[in-house]
Amino acid sequence: MSVQKIILYPDPVLKKVCRPVRDLDEEILGLIRDLVDTMRSGPGSVGVAAPQIGITLRVCVVDVSGSKLGKNSNHGLLVMVNPEIIESDGTAVMREGCMSVPDYTGDVERATGVTIRFTDENNRVRVLETSGFEAVAVQHEMDHLDGLLFLDRISSLKTGLFRRKNYK
Amino acid sequence: MQERAERSVHFAVTIIGKDSPGIVAGAAEVLYKLGCNIEDSSCTMLGGEFAMILIVSHNKPFSKTRLLEDFRAFEEKLHLSVFVRSLSSDEVHYRVPEGELCMVSVYGSDRPGIVFRVTNELAERNISISDLNTKLIGTPEQPVYVMMIEAVLPRGLEIEEVGKMLKKLKKELNVEISVRSVTPVSL
Repeated sequence: MSVQKIILYPDPVLKKVCRPVRDLDEEILGLIRDLVDTMRSGPGSVGVAAPQIGITLRVCVVDVSGSKLGKNSNHGLLVMVNPEIIESDGTAVMREGCMSVPDYTGDVERATGVTIRFTDENNRVRVLETSGFEAVAVQHEMDHLDGLLFLDRISSLKTGLFRRKNYK
Repeated sequence: MQERAERSVHFAVTIIGKDSPGIVAGAAEVLYKLGCNIEDSSCTMLGGEFAMILIVSHNKPFSKTRLLEDFRAFEEKLHLSVFVRSLSSDEVHYRVPEGELCMVSVYGSDRPGIVFRVTNELAERNISISDLNTKLIGTPEQPVYVMMIEAVLPRGLEIEEVGKMLKKLKKELNVEISVRSVTPVSL
């Protein structure tokens, strides 16, 4: 159980398609704890996917309950093993940034609502509907499991810098 | 990221001229052959003109004159105007402003003063414009002006207040004005 270092692009692990998890064994439970700890340690972080800490397995965590945009509509901590989107609707554009691609942001179009199916940390299969910022975060983290970064989805040339950035 | 030499030099290069294929490639070739890095750049069509603004750097000091000389053949061949400005270190090492980022859309029947009045209102409140573009659309009989502004609000100023503060202007200029947050989400 520990906070892991976030892997930055151009590490090739971020472009790998991750393997599905077979059994929710001790190793996977340890990975889940690492993901949650890593997410909690990042200021303002609302999600982390396994490849971002170097593990190419289909596991990610999301929790938008502490964020300004997600605090009024969320499912708390979501631990998602082998998540799939089974339905999606609507589209909206949000300017996204990613811990693995520091200092850059871009407009990304995503579904406004997604229904997801996944196995949770207690080995239960869950299906739930999510919307708003939580849905965006879920889609962003799930993209990591397919080796996709938000850079692959930028929908307009309007890009920007994170406020924390100091020029070079 | 490559280590940048302490003594690297920076220039702002502006290139503008009648649009034709090959302008970007031509400019990039000149810079590449000189060993310059294109750090930040923004290039777009404005009317029938193609406009490029680039921040370029070089690891070893060399003169602005050298840069202009190497651009000359390209400039003449494609009928472009190239301007170069040397950047001081405080222009290169700047702080990105903190505060909410907002998008302001302004549109309506064209009339003089739209850009001035709206941006003046923002300037008076210390709101810093980070990006702006305008376009004249519609028909000659009914020209419509569209302006999109991305601006950084000073710390403590809420988006709602900006909307309220532009309400009066909206009435006076008889244009539509809407304001919304585009502050990036960190995922």
